[in-house]
Amino acid sequence: MGGTLKEDWKEREKMYACWLCSFPGMGNGQLHQLWELCGGFEAVYFADRQTWGRVLSARQVEGLAGFTARWRPQEEYCRIRKEGIQLLTFWQEGYPERLKTIPDAPFGLFLRGKLPKEDMPTAAVIGARDCSEYGRHVARLLGETLGRRGIAVVSGMARGIDGISQEAALEAGGYCVGVLGSGVDVCYPVQNRGLYERLVKQGAVLSSYPGGTPARPQNFPPRNRIVSGLADVVVVIEARVKSGTLITVDMALEQGREVYVVPGRVTDRLSDGCNRLIRQGAGVVLDLEEFAGEVWEIWESKRNNHEAGILTQRRRYVSGKTGDSGKNLPENGNAICAKERQEAEGTTVAEKGQGTEAEGAKVAEKGQETEAKQTVTPEKRGGRGQASLGEAGRELSPDLAAVYQALDFYPRSTEKIIQELAFASERAQPLSDRQAVTCLMQLCMEDLAIQVSPGHFCRKG
Amino acid sequence: MLSRIISGALEGVSAYLVCVEVDIASGLPGFNMVGSLSPEVRESRERVGVALKNAGIQMPPRRVTVNLSPADRKKEGTAYDLPIAVGILEAMEMIPPGAAENILFLGELGLDGGLKKARGVLPVVREAVNRGVSQCVVPRANAMEGAVIPGIRVRGAENILEVMGFLMEQGRGESETLPVFSVDAGNLFQVPGKEDLGREDQKEGGGLDFSQVAGQEQARRAAEIAAAGFHNLLMTGPPGAGKSMIAQRIPGILPPLTLEESLEVTSVVSVAGLMKEGEALVTKRPFCAPHHTISQAALIGGSLVPRPGMISLAHRGVLFLDELPEFQRASLDALRQPLEERQVSISRIGGNVTYPSDFMLVCAMNPCPCGYYPDANRCRCTETQVRKYMGRVSGPILDRIDLCVELSPVDYGSLKDRKAGESSASVRQRVGKARKVQKDRFAGTGCRFNGDISAAAVEKYCPLGVEEEACMERLYASLRLSARAYHRILRVARTIADLEGAERIGVEHLMEASYYRPSVEYWGS
Repeated sequence: MGGTLKEDWKEREKMYACWLCSFPGMGNGQLHQLWELCGGFEAVYFADRQTWGRVLSARQVEGLAGFTARWRPQEEYCRIRKEGIQLLTFWQEGYPERLKTIPDAPFGLFLRGKLPKEDMPTAAVIGARDCSEYGRHVARLLGETLGRRGIAVVSGMARGIDGISQEAALEAGGYCVGVLGSGVDVCYPVQNRGLYERLVKQGAVLSSYPGGTPARPQNFPPRNRIVSGLADVVVVIEARVKSGTLITVDMALEQGREVYVVPGRVTDRLSDGCNRLIRQGAGVVLDLEEFAGEVWEIWESKRNNHEAGILTQRRRYVSGKTGDSGKNLPENGNAICAKERQEAEGTTVAEKGQGTEAEGAKVAEKGQETEAKQTVTPEKRGGRGQASLGEAGRELSPDLAAVYQALDFYPRSTEKIIQELAFASERAQPLSDRQAVTCLMQLCMEDLAIQVSPGHFCRKG
Repeated sequence: MLSRIISGALEGVSAYLVCVEVDIASGLPGFNMVGSLSPEVRESRERVGVALKNAGIQMPPRRVTVNLSPADRKKEGTAYDLPIAVGILEAMEMIPPGAAENILFLGELGLDGGLKKARGVLPVVREAVNRGVSQCVVPRANAMEGAVIPGIRVRGAENILEVMGFLMEQGRGESETLPVFSVDAGNLFQVPGKEDLGREDQKEGGGLDFSQVAGQEQARRAAEIAAAGFHNLLMTGPPGAGKSMIAQRIPGILPPLTLEESLEVTSVVSVAGLMKEGEALVTKRPFCAPHHTISQAALIGGSLVPRPGMISLAHRGVLFLDELPEFQRASLDALRQPLEERQVSISRIGGNVTYPSDFMLVCAMNPCPCGYYPDANRCRCTETQVRKYMGRVSGPILDRIDLCVELSPVDYGSLKDRKAGESSASVRQRVGKARKVQKDRFAGTGCRFNGDISAAAVEKYCPLGVEEEACMERLYASLRLSARAYHRILRVARTIADLEGAERIGVEHLMEASYYRPSVEYWGS
């Protein structure tokens, strides 16, 4: 009997949590305070305006009152349940542990699908939306590797790097979380409809915004902090100097997450942000398998202190709740705050020096297959003088191989390629323009190159 | 007394003869005109009256009736002034009866009695010859235009008095007071083979030659292929890469106009009233480059009374649409039918007419709003912006474009140490050869060039060997081609093979042709 009563209460709490979290005009800090003050969502619902006014401004109280008058708690709650949407609040079970440690953690999260188990390492893969073929290639490889090595991929389900890495991870049978800047029932961008459906089935789609919220620019920075918050490690593939990706990186550092970067070329504006992060001491991804090992390692070391860390965190939060918001929370003692550490010691963000043997052992422990030395980095594939360029190990004629060498992951104009050929060619007579064009089209036919535009080609990843 | 004078009217680019009947009878003084007249023909009454007065001829205070027959067809234009004036003179018995017999008159009168340029002299004179008219009198400015047609004596007059003098004498026998104009059309067209030496259009066209284009090998090649097979061409590239420069030079690598083609072109120009004074024939390939704000009617042809539009003025030549995405969507879409049928039918209140529009479409556009896509280091457009920009050009138009080429920005090196590129003359020679091959191939069929090969006829004209077939099959899959794109590649490959003088299409021809296809990734499928 008592059990059912408790169940009932829980259900009602959820119902009213749904009401409170759907009100858009309130900060996370205020939500926490209101909840603390009244001691439950139902209590908040039935509290009078005066009680609300102790936390909220007069205008907010007005707004909340109006909102409440229109809101049918029972109906709305049934509706979101029917749509398969769950609401996770900070104080309820099921709320991701990792998020609890970040400053200004979202109070409520709407969820479709299933969150990853807590004992699973997670990595956020972020980067440019209009990425190059290089970025696309690396994102695909990285997503695939992470998926295969049992590391959950967290990302924003955006065009470009985000979506590609998630797609690849799902493809490899891995686990993915997509964090949206819109309501959890809104697919943005629409091109990623397929990915969205797959995420709902195979992983999870998450958002701190109530259902039906359209994707607005101001929604994305808070979305980004959830992306980095959910991850143990953040990897950046291609970012311009001024980009949303770098904002996410800032947040990740604030939250004490490890930041890794896939390096690009110094001449490439799309990789400027990445390269700059390297100079500031971010970890560098050189080998994907090695990187996956490092993620496991970071997670293991974190897990050892996990429980304690969360507990101290929670205690501190509760005791500091009279402060205005969660913003000036102390850092999690156990997570390494990269920024601080970098300033203090001048070392790299990621601990790369740790023995690779140990890591290898760990990987073996996990029962993952470690292929001796898989060539994953594109640099290796494009290495000079390698005969087997094609994935299928097809032998290319010397001319075709030469043209392939002249190609790049970044689109190159035909003229540039021909110039390149003239320099590198070992033939007595360099290829004529028309021969070069024929070779290029042959490479396209062999699926080794892509004609990006009528006069630009790039390698196919 | 009643008089009958022959004149002509236009219908599209052809003409029909009009009989101007003038009757002067006793009754209340007046001047009536009938026969489905448009306002400018009706105004002829005032012009003719004043012109005659100023020439010293007083209109009789009697009842003048003018009928233009056939009376049920709409008459327009100002060229009836002269025949009406001559009709009045004959009805007034100022000139001997029968003097104007079998002579066609055409021309607009000024108030001082001077004759002004008329529209469409060439088609009218042509029709007159067919109908057995032996002489015609036209304004001197247009005399050369009519003189191209053999089998008729074309006389040019300056004013109404000259015409009157001529007719007075004509009554007494053969008159020679008005000069007969004649043009040896053969002289305008040099003997084939020697055509490359000192061609007129090289001197006249402001010295446009392909050797002035710095670098841009791919674009030159694409232009050559397009010219050889009469394919439509699209050039993309950043601003200042030389898209317009190349387009302007394409007429120069097309084979010179033949007499027959020239007559077609001249007819259109003449109907549009754009012939230069004293010009006999248009001998240069037309090159029309309308601004992108052009209206649909101006591009296709139209207005209340149909007039040829840009596409007809570009007949047998090049229509160059710069900044393609900036054109009004409606204007571009209206190009679909003329591109397919090589002629355009226009229906208006004033009647239905058909104008020829067999032109080569050359378009140029930037690849994105900023112009630098896909150079990620310079282009700051988002993918959506690029797609949106591309999307302004409708699919059906792109479907009719066989060749697509991208120009890259010219670097300082190729600008400075300029090796003079190949001249237009030598390119034209190759194009000429390829065209000859096509002429033989398509003899007796509806097609003229490889660009005209229909999808159904592709199998027949572009047969592939086993190896080529296999190659095409792989291309089809890896380039994600559509059936239409497949046919386009075959057509272009046919032209490339023709340029090389190869009888069969080879793998390298297919490869090159597929390079120039409008690619799927770029245009969206």
